[in-house]
Amino acid sequence: MKPNLMPSNPKPIEAKKKTKSKKKLSERSLGYFLIAPAMILIFIIAIWPVFQSFYYSMFDLRLNNPVKSEAHTSYSVNLQTYLDNYPFLMNTLDEEIGEASGKTKEELEAIQADLEKIDSELQKDSELKVQYDQVDERLMVMKPVSEDLAVAELNKEVALNFEKTVDETTDRIRELKGDLKNPNDVIGLSSSLSDSIITPNFIGLKHYKENLSDGRMWKAISNTTVFTVISVFAELVIGLAIAILINKAFFGRGLVRATILIPWAIPTAVSAFMWKYLYDGQNGIVAKAFESIGLFDRMTDLLTSSNGAMFSVIFADVWKTTPYMALLLLAGLQTIPSSLYEAAAIDGASKWKQFLKITLPLLKSSILVALLFRTLDAFRVFDLIYVLTGGGPANSTETISILAYKVMFAQTNFGEGSALSVIVFICVAIISMIYIKFLGRDLLNDK
Amino acid sequence: MNKKAGPMFYVFLALFVFFVMFPFLWVLASSIKPVAELFGDRAFKPFTDNMTLENYESVFLNYPFLKYLWNSLVVSTITTVYAVLVASFAAYAIARLKFKGKTFILGLVLSVSMFPQIATISPIYIVLKNLGLTNSYLGLIIPYTTFTLPLSIWLLVTFFRKIPFDLEEAAKIDGASLMQTYWRVILPLAIPGIFTTAILVFISAWNEFLFALTINTDDAYKTVPVGIAMFEGQFTIPWGEVTAATVIVTVPLVIMVLAFQRKIVSGLTSGAVKE
Repeated sequence: MKPNLMPSNPKPIEAKKKTKSKKKLSERSLGYFLIAPAMILIFIIAIWPVFQSFYYSMFDLRLNNPVKSEAHTSYSVNLQTYLDNYPFLMNTLDEEIGEASGKTKEELEAIQADLEKIDSELQKDSELKVQYDQVDERLMVMKPVSEDLAVAELNKEVALNFEKTVDETTDRIRELKGDLKNPNDVIGLSSSLSDSIITPNFIGLKHYKENLSDGRMWKAISNTTVFTVISVFAELVIGLAIAILINKAFFGRGLVRATILIPWAIPTAVSAFMWKYLYDGQNGIVAKAFESIGLFDRMTDLLTSSNGAMFSVIFADVWKTTPYMALLLLAGLQTIPSSLYEAAAIDGASKWKQFLKITLPLLKSSILVALLFRTLDAFRVFDLIYVLTGGGPANSTETISILAYKVMFAQTNFGEGSALSVIVFICVAIISMIYIKFLGRDLLNDK
Repeated sequence: MNKKAGPMFYVFLALFVFFVMFPFLWVLASSIKPVAELFGDRAFKPFTDNMTLENYESVFLNYPFLKYLWNSLVVSTITTVYAVLVASFAAYAIARLKFKGKTFILGLVLSVSMFPQIATISPIYIVLKNLGLTNSYLGLIIPYTTFTLPLSIWLLVTFFRKIPFDLEEAAKIDGASLMQTYWRVILPLAIPGIFTTAILVFISAWNEFLFALTINTDDAYKTVPVGIAMFEGQFTIPWGEVTAATVIVTVPLVIMVLAFQRKIVSGLTSGAVKE
């Protein structure tokens, strides 16, 4: 690990140049060596999932549906499901044949022959046959079958033929229902047999097409935009005013600074719950205060009307993040030399003019950086709204992250949820590109 | 600019502090009221004559709140230690060594720190579920890398850059190897920065909600923010317990903020301000 920088150096003068380039090389490789662990982790845990989300978004992926719980691009058969059903179906059919007579018997025998045909077709493939026998053996002795062993790829024709035959079988048995002894057993086994075929659930960009023509998605985007624009703008204006006012020496600075940090430091979920208490329609003190100053007609409007809920969410966000914004801007203000203001005052510039001509231009990059971070934070807002309103009432505060979460975890529709989360990602990427264009490369350069 | 603070200024300041602190003070006052006084007319009175600690007792007796606190502590501590360790190597290399692609890497780190969590959650959830890591500490520590590692690298790079290069040159001239320079010269000077980074990373891990909500659904592995958010009963919200739990979570953070405010401010503003 330690680069050897003190080589045995018998001919110092001739070797000097060589050592220097060696040193450079070792510095470079040490650099790559040191950043490697972090880069690998970031790649695996942050970058790969984004691509994977995009991949999932092109599938009809539903966690609560065993046939669709994974992304499949090709046809395959689950031999475990198949062998759990096929032999029993055949046996049951045998029994029914023994009991039946005439036309029913003939029909049942025909069904059995068709099923045997697809079974032999499955076993025709030598590789599949090996897997088939292994699974069969394990099931006989009641051993667990691993997923890798259970699932075998099929070619499309065999799979389609299999599916068609099994579906037909189920229909044919249904028609014979009245003549059978245990019709429900036979139908049950036959329809479970069709579950053993896994069809590809690749659907391309269908989720995106559906979402882009879905009113709920656009409503969520517009809610997110309204929330982001109003809250970030309010935070910037109030934060800047506070920063300018407290940019001076005064008694109790430390206390004020600590006060500023507390809303930022407590978990958003906890502060959201706190606000829920303060906004409560019956017992909330803030709701009562808003009612008595005439901001709202009734206390309950705050969380149960659409506009009230949006206002409540924005107000809580402004309370939590304005102090943080003020802190960032204050740090920027402190880098502006006071001599500039003194010179301007001597030249007779008014306070307002000083603000426009000195403060704003010199604070530009601080403002942009603060705005960038805040805009992105606000756009992906989740905790605050999830706890405070849950997206309600009537989806009036449902942001795009909340919608994606609901689709994924309440409806267990991971394909569509992933499509929504990719949409969030694209929006965030566009917003950052716009800001970075304004900021230029300032953000990354050494000085 | 007027640098003198007049009496109006202090009035404004007091209003500002009051506005920021009011929710906490109200919650604190509510948490020591008997439950009956949280409803009806008495709900709007700030003080009670029948001060009680029954809400605090109930939080610990009727909810696995201590367990939540412990889970949060374990997850946040391990995340912080390992993220800051891995990040310190990368940040040192980016800040002090010469190699190609540094700007690109820093740009990548910054972009990753802006990734919306929702965009990574579906694959992470499915992988953790298949590995059997949902409802475990590791199930949160692994995904927390997505935001703690970029944050740590970003902060540490700015701290490492502030250490004067002359010291490194001097060590080189004295014949120290790169690793020796790192351990003997850079690291001791960087310790305050590393500590600041650790505080900020710890707070961000402690406050995380979305991963904790989706990955650890079992009470035995829930973290504090999720635990409190789930206090909701089926028909009513137990406000007494909620306010008490909020106070319990806030007090240590207030102490931490008071103790480390200078460091936290320097961490929050570094990188955001060009000096």
